[in-house]
Amino acid sequence: MRFHRSLHGFVTPLVLIASVALITFLGVLGGDQVKTSLTEMLIRMVVVVGMWVFVGNSGVISFGHVGFMCVGAYAAAWATVDPNWKSIMLTGLPDWLQNGQYPIPFAIMGGAVLAAAVAVLLGGAIMRLSGIAASIATFAFLMIVNSVYSNWDAVTGGTSSIIGIPTVVTPWVAFTLAAGAIFVAYAFKVSRYGLMLRASREDEVAARASAINIVRVRLAAFVLSAAIVGIGGGLWAHFLGVLTADTFYLSLSFITLAMLVVGGLGSLTGAVLGVVVVTIVVEVLRALEGGIALGKITLSLPPGSQEIGLGVVLALIMIFRPSGLTRGREVLWPRRRSPMTEVSTKTATALGPGE
Amino acid sequence: MQSDETLLHDRPGLLAQPQAAELKAENVVVRFGGLAAISEVSLTVRRHEVFGLIGPNGAGKTTLVNCLTGFQAPTSGRILLGREQTTGWSPDKFRKNGVARTFQAGRLFREMTVLENVEATAVGLGLGRRAAAERAMAMLDWIRLAAQANRIAGTLAYTDERRVGIARALILSPAFLLLDEPAAGMSDGECEDLVEWVATIPQRFDCGVLLIEHNMRVIMDVCARIHVLDGGRSLAEGSPREIQENPAVMAAYLGMEA
Repeated sequence: MRFHRSLHGFVTPLVLIASVALITFLGVLGGDQVKTSLTEMLIRMVVVVGMWVFVGNSGVISFGHVGFMCVGAYAAAWATVDPNWKSIMLTGLPDWLQNGQYPIPFAIMGGAVLAAAVAVLLGGAIMRLSGIAASIATFAFLMIVNSVYSNWDAVTGGTSSIIGIPTVVTPWVAFTLAAGAIFVAYAFKVSRYGLMLRASREDEVAARASAINIVRVRLAAFVLSAAIVGIGGGLWAHFLGVLTADTFYLSLSFITLAMLVVGGLGSLTGAVLGVVVVTIVVEVLRALEGGIALGKITLSLPPGSQEIGLGVVLALIMIFRPSGLTRGREVLWPRRRSPMTEVSTKTATALGPGE
Repeated sequence: MQSDETLLHDRPGLLAQPQAAELKAENVVVRFGGLAAISEVSLTVRRHEVFGLIGPNGAGKTTLVNCLTGFQAPTSGRILLGREQTTGWSPDKFRKNGVARTFQAGRLFREMTVLENVEATAVGLGLGRRAAAERAMAMLDWIRLAAQANRIAGTLAYTDERRVGIARALILSPAFLLLDEPAAGMSDGECEDLVEWVATIPQRFDCGVLLIEHNMRVIMDVCARIHVLDGGRSLAEGSPREIQENPAVMAAYLGMEA
């Protein structure tokens, strides 16, 4: 009974993970192109779910999370690229990084830790801002990261790319981390901190009267969120094998935010669904741009249709379903016990003889 | 039912029962720019009694409650909780030290469930979710809203919304509860029901209540002492009878009606 109940609380992440597993399973049956798109999608899922930990629970839109992806990606790459190449190109790295080569999982974790550390510093400064002021500050952060990573030649290679990163991220590797991110994000949502943060999203004034230290709970979410996004960055590096700072800038910020908004900021289900839906839209448009042969005629859209199409989808969602496809609700079993039963069992536990 | 009662009062673990016997404003002045919202107001709310704060609209009642709960720093004067100076305390620190409040507009966490609304304060005070949910559930049982526990708070009826707001403030027994017009917008009957219910709070929860309310009849019924504000100044303070017979108060209220 106890086991059943605790499992019941985790229906949402289990259903989400199972659905993503199914998509992955079907995807790996496809050709190389499909597998590439699938892996890309799963890595973006890690990033978007990570963003959601902060944005979804706090209600503060962040334009800067792709900056954490950049930080995580470069940090992981520093640890895994061939030392010979680093000693020529990245002369500014400390000795232990320049001359060493570390296992990839450690490298990716290192990227997460660095992203989290940066989030502690940044968050400490901007978490007391609210609403649009905080959002603009995160955007400023993205610009700073981009500028530093594009110009710090001795450490990041500047505008020339870092190359030769081992490409080990397969669809199933990406799936495993996406599943982990979903699980962690849900655990955060239902934790004490998640509850306090959601309360502050609903009403800051009432949250403070409820003994909630808003700066502290926001900062906690910001740091966890940055760490997950940092992992996404490390995966990206070890998927593409090549890194340029401009990869992590406006267009990626736009597409990840679009994923969050399309699915619905209010729920983890929204974040996961948004990634899938936007990926499908983009892939279909990309295929159409490439041209599809219909008998003798080849039908093709002009280049740039991808971005236009995504913009139109986003606008339509904003008009017809402003709180996203999920409207802030989480996925549950279809035949869930009615809320009333759930209340009475909870009361029964709360007042049971054990107390 | 017995364990229900225990859950209502129990402040487990790290949360010691707040000891302060009085919540006191001393010569509090609040100025917004050149405008004095409150001038030299002093009052004392004691444990175990309902203290009424009345006055016409714009008299500074809400501003005073904001001072007493850390939402507004006094321009001069001070707020004392027992013997402790509260200068620089944030609202969450006030609540952690046992000063709770409600808001005129209700301000529920509208997209969250009723249970989560009440739970939020318990969690803010340091409880884990399981313990917080048990106590929130006991509180909802007590205010007879247990059946609505999993309902989204934004969909509640108006009177229920107010009760959830009070439950949210009352969970884990604060030492002082400041109610800012809890019955605003209710009919006379609903208002009387609510205030009668509020009157049972001091004994049951071992706390002091400050009540802002416009309905004179109910406030005269339930308050031990009443403080009258007018234009940001103290007009009078005393027992309901003294207030009713005070010429300055009568003038202020009659003047208002004229």
